[in-house]
Amino acid sequence: MTASIRTLLGATALCATGMAAAAETTLTIATVNNGDMIRMQGLAGDFTAKHPDIKLEWVTLEENVLRQRVTQDIATKGGQFDVMTIGTYEVPIWAKQDWLEPLDGLSDDYDAGDILPAIAGGLSIDGTLYAAPFYGESSMVMYRKDLMEKAGMEMPEAPTWDDIAKAAEAMTDVSAGIYGICLRGKAGWGENMAFLTAAANSFGARWFDMDWKPQFDTEQWKTTLTTYLDLMGKYGPPGASSNGFNENLALFQSGKCGMWIDATVAASFVTNPNDSTVADQVGFALAPDAGLGKRGNWLWAWTLGIPAGTDAPEAAKTFIEWATSKDYLALVAEKEGWANVPPGTRTSLYENPEYLEAAPFAEMTLKSMEAADPTNPTVDPVPYTGVQFVAIPEFQGIGTAVGQQFSAALAGQITADQALQNAQTLTEREMKRGGYIK
Amino acid sequence: MSTKASRAAARLMISPSVILLLGWMLIPLGMTLYFSVLRFNLLMPGDNPFVGFENYRYFLTDPGFTAAIWNTLALVLGVLVITIFGGILLALLLDQPMFGQGIVRILVIAPFFVMPTVSALVWKNMFLNPVNGLFAHLFTALGLQPYDFLSQAPLASIIGIVAWQWLPFATLILLTALQSLDSEQLEAAEMDGATPLSRFWYIMLPHLARAITVVILIQTIFLLSVFAEILVTTNGGPGYASTNLTYLIYVQSLLQYDVGMGSAGGVVAIILANIVAIFLMRMIGKNLEA
Amino acid sequence: MARAVTTQRKALNTVIAWGVGILIFFPILWTILTSFKTEAEAIADPPLWFNFHWTLENYVTVQERSNYFRHFWNSVVISVGSTLIGLAIAVPAAWAMAFVPGKRTKDVLMWMLSTKMLPPVGVLVPLYLIFRNLGLLDTRTGLVFVLTMINLPIIIWMLYTYFKEIPNDILEAARMDGAGLRDEVVHVLLPMAVPGMASTVLLNIILAWNEAFWTLNLTAAKAAPLTAFIASYSSPEGLFYAKLSAASTMAIAPILIMGWFSQKQLVRGLTFGAVK
Repeated sequence: MTASIRTLLGATALCATGMAAAAETTLTIATVNNGDMIRMQGLAGDFTAKHPDIKLEWVTLEENVLRQRVTQDIATKGGQFDVMTIGTYEVPIWAKQDWLEPLDGLSDDYDAGDILPAIAGGLSIDGTLYAAPFYGESSMVMYRKDLMEKAGMEMPEAPTWDDIAKAAEAMTDVSAGIYGICLRGKAGWGENMAFLTAAANSFGARWFDMDWKPQFDTEQWKTTLTTYLDLMGKYGPPGASSNGFNENLALFQSGKCGMWIDATVAASFVTNPNDSTVADQVGFALAPDAGLGKRGNWLWAWTLGIPAGTDAPEAAKTFIEWATSKDYLALVAEKEGWANVPPGTRTSLYENPEYLEAAPFAEMTLKSMEAADPTNPTVDPVPYTGVQFVAIPEFQGIGTAVGQQFSAALAGQITADQALQNAQTLTEREMKRGGYIK
Repeated sequence: MSTKASRAAARLMISPSVILLLGWMLIPLGMTLYFSVLRFNLLMPGDNPFVGFENYRYFLTDPGFTAAIWNTLALVLGVLVITIFGGILLALLLDQPMFGQGIVRILVIAPFFVMPTVSALVWKNMFLNPVNGLFAHLFTALGLQPYDFLSQAPLASIIGIVAWQWLPFATLILLTALQSLDSEQLEAAEMDGATPLSRFWYIMLPHLARAITVVILIQTIFLLSVFAEILVTTNGGPGYASTNLTYLIYVQSLLQYDVGMGSAGGVVAIILANIVAIFLMRMIGKNLEA
Repeated sequence: MARAVTTQRKALNTVIAWGVGILIFFPILWTILTSFKTEAEAIADPPLWFNFHWTLENYVTVQERSNYFRHFWNSVVISVGSTLIGLAIAVPAAWAMAFVPGKRTKDVLMWMLSTKMLPPVGVLVPLYLIFRNLGLLDTRTGLVFVLTMINLPIIIWMLYTYFKEIPNDILEAARMDGAGLRDEVVHVLLPMAVPGMASTVLLNIILAWNEAFWTLNLTAAKAAPLTAFIASYSSPEGLFYAKLSAASTMAIAPILIMGWFSQKQLVRGLTFGAVK
């Protein structure tokens, strides 16, 4: 498959044989090593049984490595992949550059209208879908019911940051190895900055004002960062500045965290008795707010898209339809139980009584997703879209660099003020370089 | 003594290597130089206009740049010091008569066979992790607070990991050199009443000088571009605490997809590497002169 | 050493050396042990040493998820291929430098080594574009080429130092007997250089096997070696120590075993001219 792309690109002599074997199509699929994708890989036999003429090759990589590999490949038109797993951040940017094949002409069975509107909106340009969501997520509070009970407290369904601080204090028991709250601290725009940007929204902070001027010198950002550092300093686990989603998941599953504010998809992992020592003790609540009308929860989806220039757009589309269809959800349900189906993509899933019964977190997940609004993410107006990211190409670099500063503040190497000041300076610098501000 | 004909033959025999390496060096280098004066970001396709030295200006004034230089030096020197001292001690130890010498040697050289990625993953998760890592268990068992290696001492931790990987290499080379030492000379010194320390200082160490130089040269080449260990364990952080030059360039060119700036960084790194190279060559040249 | 050593001294040496050896080897041992535990046992506090339920489950999971043997085979082809090609190019060059040294031989040698100092990240995008245009992305051919170039300086240098140790008299004698250049290399030089070549080959297979930057960035599915295989086990969701350990053990085992079996050959020649 990739061989014949190369032939098209001009290295004719080397690859002439690639064309001859066109009867069987091979799709190279790049994906993240998250649990739901690994499961998809395991169930792919169903797809190849239905489409014996399509062969699947998987490239499964850790998230950051994957992102770098696919971005580099699509931007240089390397043609290594036929289906790419990309996030809601990439899709609109790439679609605008015509790097993605539009997903039009999907079959009626597929029922594209069933995709959750908040997600579909972020993946479409002028009403055309450019990638199909494989799973979607928001963030919420996951807490230990047993520990809360022991402390004689109750978690409100829609807590404030003060409630969180109180609960964290009550649950922390360092001598027993229990830390009141676990939050992301590992630097990265998709790691600690996803949490902090979403949290900042709830404190009325924003990345840029309407003139694209960075806002880290505002009081709201200071409140955000000091609240975070305070919580983590007093009640967080050691080594928090290198904890990302996966590290925290492992901590929570092994019973070391009282609370964890993170992706809603984690709910099915922490309630799975095979992996989690606290499976039957997990409660859920909305992400906290500060009474300003926005909650600190994000909106994200991992999606499957087709890079422009692939020589098997039809086969790729067939695969994407299979992987993101209602039938796929039913297939996972049949093999692994409803609680394990990839969540957050289809309205019909949240109307399915079997799912609602099997997944105690379903209602809170849907509520959280509905509470996030990528087009209007902040208290004050902003020139960008995206809840926990800013949908401009420069954001990955800036977000990660700012994340490094906040991570350093969490590790105690610099103060909150220094971190904010550094963040402001480096963001201004990059925005100048990008030509957004003078 | 070599004839004209054999010189011509020699040139012919060297030329494939030289041509290949020249191409391997010059073609990417040329492209890197060219890209370094363009505004070229993979995420923003367009006509990539010429911007002169803008990329260099931004790279050299990057808030992480100075830190990266110092960290690169600290990493190289730190690992060199540990591996050479440790290597000498280990070599002296392994040179002693003992039971099961072959097995001990196998145990000692094993880290050299481990992929950097694997070793970084194993160290990070199974040893240095402050909650589930083995060191954390050890600390709590001793009644101490677990120490958070990767955020409190990120660079030192990475130096430790890299040194673990390179210690066997240094040990092996030093051991081979030690074993080639004429034992009669040592015995004579012993007869004359020289203490073990002075025997080491006046006889062994001078003999090892050449081997030490070789260790420094080879390891420096690899240590200047340490990358996987940083990517896996700390991502260069917290802040810039464990960002070396290679990692900084990675951040620019592959995380920000800014090929222009990454290329400028590459050119800067090449210049710096060459300064180190010249320095090393001087030293080696003196010591390795046949 | 010819000196008489008391048994006590020898016993003491043995204890210390074994202690240090086990300490250095411990991370690997621990990884191997962990690979046979369940995920919960892997993070147990206090740690479990041998008294756990030995299981092969992690290996089964890893094999189900990744096509280990394909990655393994790619690693073999790439590391052995690049080493052999490198050797073929390097032998004549090293021979010429060792036996017909010119004024600038040393400079050429040092220049070759200095090409290894180029930071690979700086030239990734240019090389990616070249590879795309030549159709070499995700091919073993492409990787063999890259790794040959990366290790060539080391190979040349190692061979050069071995060749230099061969006394010139022997070659002179061969020449007297009327041996041609080819005979000289094939029948006189190579047999004498076999130990050195063996250790060169081994060292370079190890270096190529463990090279993780180019092999990861220039491959996708078809040519990806074990370095790419391990990249899919770094920080996945949930508890992963046991699976990571299994994957790690699978990635390092082949080279570790090869290294152990051939350590005599490896060590004998690993001098880089440090011994006179």
